[in-house]
Amino acid sequence: MQTHQSRRRFLQAGAAFVLATTAAPLPAFAAERRAEAVLAGWYRLLLELIRHTATYSPPVASRSFAYLGITVFEALATGNPALRSLSGQVRDLPPLPARDPAPHDEACVLQAALAHAMAAHFGNTGPTGQRAMAAMATQMADLAAADQPADVVARSRAHGVAVSDHILRWSAGDGGALIENMGFPETYTLTAGPAHWVPTSTIAVQQKPLLPHWGQNRPFAIPTEGPCGLPPPIDYSEDPASEFYAQAREVYDISQSLSAEQQVIARFWSDDPMLSPTPPGHWVAILLQIFARDATPVDRQAELLAMLGMGIADGFIQCWRSKYEHDLVRPVTYIRRVIDPNWEPLLITPPFPEYPSGHSTQTGAAAAVLEGLMGPNFAFDDATHEEDGLGVRSFSSFWQAAEEAALSRLYGGIHFRAANENGLTQGRCVAQHVLGLQTRA
Amino acid sequence: MFWGCKPVLKGAVLALAAAPAWADEPVMPRFAPQSSGITTAYMGEWQYMVGGGAAVFDCDGDTLPDVFIAGGEGPAGLYRNISSPGGDLRFAPVAGLDDTGVTGAYPLDIDGDGITDLAVLRVGENHLMRGLGGCRFEMANADWGFDGGDGWSTAFAATWEAGQHWPTLAVGNYINRKEEAFPWGSCTDNWLHRPLAKGFAPPVPLTPSYCALSMLFSDWSGAGTRDLRVSNDREYYKGGQEQLWHMEPTPRLWSENEGWKRLRIWGMGIASRDLDGDGFNELYLTSMADNKLQVLTPPDDRLLPQYTDQALKRGITAHRPFTGGDLRPSTAWHAQFEDVNNDGLADLFVVKGNVHAMPDFAAMDPNNLFLQRPDGSFVEAAEISGALSFKTGRGGAVADFNADGKLDLLVVNRWEPPEVWRNVSGGLGGFVTVSLRQTGANRDGIGAWIELRSDAGLQRREITVGGGHMSGQLVPWHFGIGPAKTAQVRVIWPDGQATNWIKAVSGEAVLVQR
Repeated sequence: MQTHQSRRRFLQAGAAFVLATTAAPLPAFAAERRAEAVLAGWYRLLLELIRHTATYSPPVASRSFAYLGITVFEALATGNPALRSLSGQVRDLPPLPARDPAPHDEACVLQAALAHAMAAHFGNTGPTGQRAMAAMATQMADLAAADQPADVVARSRAHGVAVSDHILRWSAGDGGALIENMGFPETYTLTAGPAHWVPTSTIAVQQKPLLPHWGQNRPFAIPTEGPCGLPPPIDYSEDPASEFYAQAREVYDISQSLSAEQQVIARFWSDDPMLSPTPPGHWVAILLQIFARDATPVDRQAELLAMLGMGIADGFIQCWRSKYEHDLVRPVTYIRRVIDPNWEPLLITPPFPEYPSGHSTQTGAAAAVLEGLMGPNFAFDDATHEEDGLGVRSFSSFWQAAEEAALSRLYGGIHFRAANENGLTQGRCVAQHVLGLQTRA
Repeated sequence: MFWGCKPVLKGAVLALAAAPAWADEPVMPRFAPQSSGITTAYMGEWQYMVGGGAAVFDCDGDTLPDVFIAGGEGPAGLYRNISSPGGDLRFAPVAGLDDTGVTGAYPLDIDGDGITDLAVLRVGENHLMRGLGGCRFEMANADWGFDGGDGWSTAFAATWEAGQHWPTLAVGNYINRKEEAFPWGSCTDNWLHRPLAKGFAPPVPLTPSYCALSMLFSDWSGAGTRDLRVSNDREYYKGGQEQLWHMEPTPRLWSENEGWKRLRIWGMGIASRDLDGDGFNELYLTSMADNKLQVLTPPDDRLLPQYTDQALKRGITAHRPFTGGDLRPSTAWHAQFEDVNNDGLADLFVVKGNVHAMPDFAAMDPNNLFLQRPDGSFVEAAEISGALSFKTGRGGAVADFNADGKLDLLVVNRWEPPEVWRNVSGGLGGFVTVSLRQTGANRDGIGAWIELRSDAGLQRREITVGGGHMSGQLVPWHFGIGPAKTAQVRVIWPDGQATNWIKAVSGEAVLVQR
């Protein structure tokens, strides 16, 4: 793995394209190029809206990435016999609306589907996000419809909206559609005993844990009661000779001698909500960078976005089942109680139980899904946080990145080692269910 | 150096009708809404979702504070205070300061001529308005060499650096307003305008800038020098955080290597006050869903800018409407510490309002009025005191508009005229006001500390220009003293020179000058 200090800003490619199209007559792009541009533009905005919409904690973000990815995939699959619909494969998805036999334009279908779906997923974003979505919808509609017959445009738009509407109606019953109070319950009874989670911040709403019922949401590919559960964490003890103490001591000792590289790794994968596109968005951003680098065909992009989205979404559902099953105390609580009352971790401790690490589970799922679809030694650069001053990191494989992401939580002082390692294992398990889905006819 | 005592509140009546119970629960003030005559609403859409300030100062020399209200897309408004001493609060419009595009304003005597000037922040060119007396002003950008820029200005602070006869002005700027689809990450540079002869040098960009919504020069460490604290809106920056600038010849940020602790919030306003008389200011930082009370807690061996958040512990998170019925989080803007019940403890007024159509945040978001208890905790009093409002607030002011020794409230609202409440409490404690005068530069002693000791304890107040949310004041500084009949006052001037302790009688307005 290497670190670079600068690189072209891949995420601005979509915007550059938009600006170009508004400054000059629209070129007659091939349908696929136009569709790729539509996808790139909306997904760039998606990453920003995830960052800037208050309800979008990482689990909530993973859900939107899944449904939006499926929307993209199904919008194209309804017109591409090489693609196999996920209906009948993922849980409870009814057959998608069939296309009218008359001609459609894929860019217009995609544009309409994404504009409709984004408006629904981000109806609660603020005035700046609404303004940005309106601007994107206008620009992308013009781009997609360039030189296309009016009847084709109208028909394509209608179909895109129908697909999006179908997915939205399906999504409404999964248990995750309504987020109140930014995901923090009004009432919650803490589990008694020193082994269990207690609030770790001075933020008032975070005196309750985030989304305690998220694990009960309807998953996409994993069973409702899964084989991806984890063994219990190490038995709690404050005995300095105990294994639990030893794992906490490891977190503490590492924090006292963090190298510059370890600090960079911790912050690179920190992916804090409202300050980044979240951990799920980090993996989507990685995929978008690969698309830009490799000029990935749009049908392949759709397939990968759908599969990645489902992987990380099911990863969070499975992880949240385990978190609230085991309800383990955070390192900051234990270390201040037992080792050093003044200890400060490098990263902000997330407001929910420790075991397993959510980032590790979803990262394990993401990496294993991408590895399954793109190969075990797929090298890539990651400039997701370049604008935030965190540089570019290079990886020889998805799994290498996943291992670094998991380790980052130890460096950041927010997880014990077992939560990270078992989280990766759990993610791999989730990925196997997602990889069992068929996207090609 | 000398100081003088000038009792000006001859009409003030301290009606101690019934002996208050000086117990742990604060004396509850009473506020009455006023038909003030102020009609300027803060108008406009996206470019005016932030801002909406009020400047409070005496522009006509009658000792009553007048007000200037930002109008956003509509015209701003200057209002002369025509209230009778101790009577209802009434204001009359004055022509001549009706710029559009105004987001906020701060009063200060820039040129040291003894007449208060006004720094007017705008979407577009900022204006320095030279006070001419009689509530008349003229644009002074050209005469003073002030580059007003063409930004979206959303924060301001001023200080007099050592040896300077003119102030140093810091202007906080927001996002690039021309960015439509992707404004995130487009924060424009804040500017530092340092003095040059009888005016200002070309501005120095304070890079990096992270969409400031409040700034404050403050002697946070008690070292006698003033650094620049900047509260930034994390909604729009990338790689940003709260900032503290060393005010050196070339300003530089306090770094993590120097002990600075990274904090990233939707920073919208700063209120500052030494709440416990320990010599260091506490800072209240407004945000969305979570407001911070920063208490300086440096390590034992070094005085570093390290703070702990005590908002939760002291009951002032103000994170959702206190009126109940809505679990959605609040959006807080202007904040100001003042003693509204004259018990010798600074209280806290927080102005709130939804940004605009943000359904995840409370739409009906009442302002908070927190009364401080002797143990340092606070209790909510906005509703019971009669100051409840669900309008969409932005800027504000806590000031004594009718010279009765009781602090009144003013709130600037989006799309609706400001609200004004008169403090009609009976049975409050006594008070003392303190004004500062210097000959020559920095006439009003910006940067000085006023200390007041009484039976209610030691109070310390740093005199600043900046902070709040686009709202500034230049008024006699108010201190409640509870049941005490007298108090002792001293001033530590910006250069560190301290006066002797001065006896002040309850109800007296003290002028300290040198």
